[in-house]
Amino acid sequence: MHEWSLALSIVQSLDKWAFQQGVEVRRVAVSVPSVSQLDVEILKEAFDMLKQDSRLAKATLEVKVRTPRYKCRSCGHEFGQEEVDAQIKALMQSYGEEYPLHLIPELAPTFIRCPKCGSHDIEAELSIKIEEVETI
Amino acid sequence: MRPLFERARENLRNRRVLAVMAGKGGVGKSVIAAFLAIVKKAPLIDLDLFGMAAPKLFGVAGRLHEVGKEGIEPIEVGGVKIFSVGGIVGDRYVVLPGASQGGVVEALLAFAKLGNAREVVIDMPPGMGEELLSLHRITDFAPIVVTTPSAASYKVVKHLVDYLLELGKRPVAVVMNMAYVRCNGAVIYPFGRGNEVKKLADTHRIPLIEVPIDPQLEEYIGQIYRYRGPVYEVVQRFSLESNYAAF
Repeated sequence: MHEWSLALSIVQSLDKWAFQQGVEVRRVAVSVPSVSQLDVEILKEAFDMLKQDSRLAKATLEVKVRTPRYKCRSCGHEFGQEEVDAQIKALMQSYGEEYPLHLIPELAPTFIRCPKCGSHDIEAELSIKIEEVETI
Repeated sequence: MRPLFERARENLRNRRVLAVMAGKGGVGKSVIAAFLAIVKKAPLIDLDLFGMAAPKLFGVAGRLHEVGKEGIEPIEVGGVKIFSVGGIVGDRYVVLPGASQGGVVEALLAFAKLGNAREVVIDMPPGMGEELLSLHRITDFAPIVVTTPSAASYKVVKHLVDYLLELGKRPVAVVMNMAYVRCNGAVIYPFGRGNEVKKLADTHRIPLIEVPIDPQLEEYIGQIYRYRGPVYEVVQRFSLESNYAAF
């Protein structure tokens, strides 16, 4: 369900930007971190519904699911998603539909621990970004 | 472009954002913020990402927010709509590096379903960290600074007021909490008279609100919306008096 509110954020912020620039949007590329477990098809469906009557009416949405690289600030260990997949899976099982990283992926350090030293003091690029915009 | 940042700005646009803050922890800002939200019937957004006192004060710690197509549904109790990271992580600790805190603040402010509320009360964390910087990026908030009469609290709060003035944000009120206690007809000032706090408020022409200690308040932790004692009365009085319309 959160995909809809995210799609609304994308449409609203780009519609305002396009109005200021005096352009219409033809293509949008958004990147989301894989830990958010967003359903890309629902996100696109929501985007297509919400873009009507805006400067994105003719726009297509491209969603890039980014696999974060993590760095532990405590021991320096750098690691990929595969080393924390088990932790993410356990978190999803624990919370079910209320999986917190779906809503706010930046909360990941609260739940993920460094596989080497166990610290929560980890950093990664976890934000949702509009990477590219093509205009008409 | 960061869509959540833009959405957060849009979500708070045309609303009066009262940010209850203090340089120091333990001065009672969450209690003041809670009463302010109750009096004003305004949504309460808990930006104390690590303390998450609001759900505890209202007895909803561990309860999770529902999420709909339009964003995060409030947890409503005692007539107050509460939004908190506690409603996302449940009854567990939050630990975050500084770089992640701004993203969490933006997401919470972006997705909180505030409806047609004209005023919003924000319970800020102690200190002057990322949450304060994030809020400043997102909205033109009105600060309410909480302190106690203690010199230890005053020195920290003065730095906060200095910073706010530098931003051009004169606090709408300085709340001197735990200012006095009534005991057997006598008025006792356990933390001193707060002369330095009074001077600070006077120097900058900031209304000063003295809030008493009420030992009974502790019994209402978890159901603070039922409390109507002297602490609530002071917040209510100053919220309604025309001289303090800004508050």
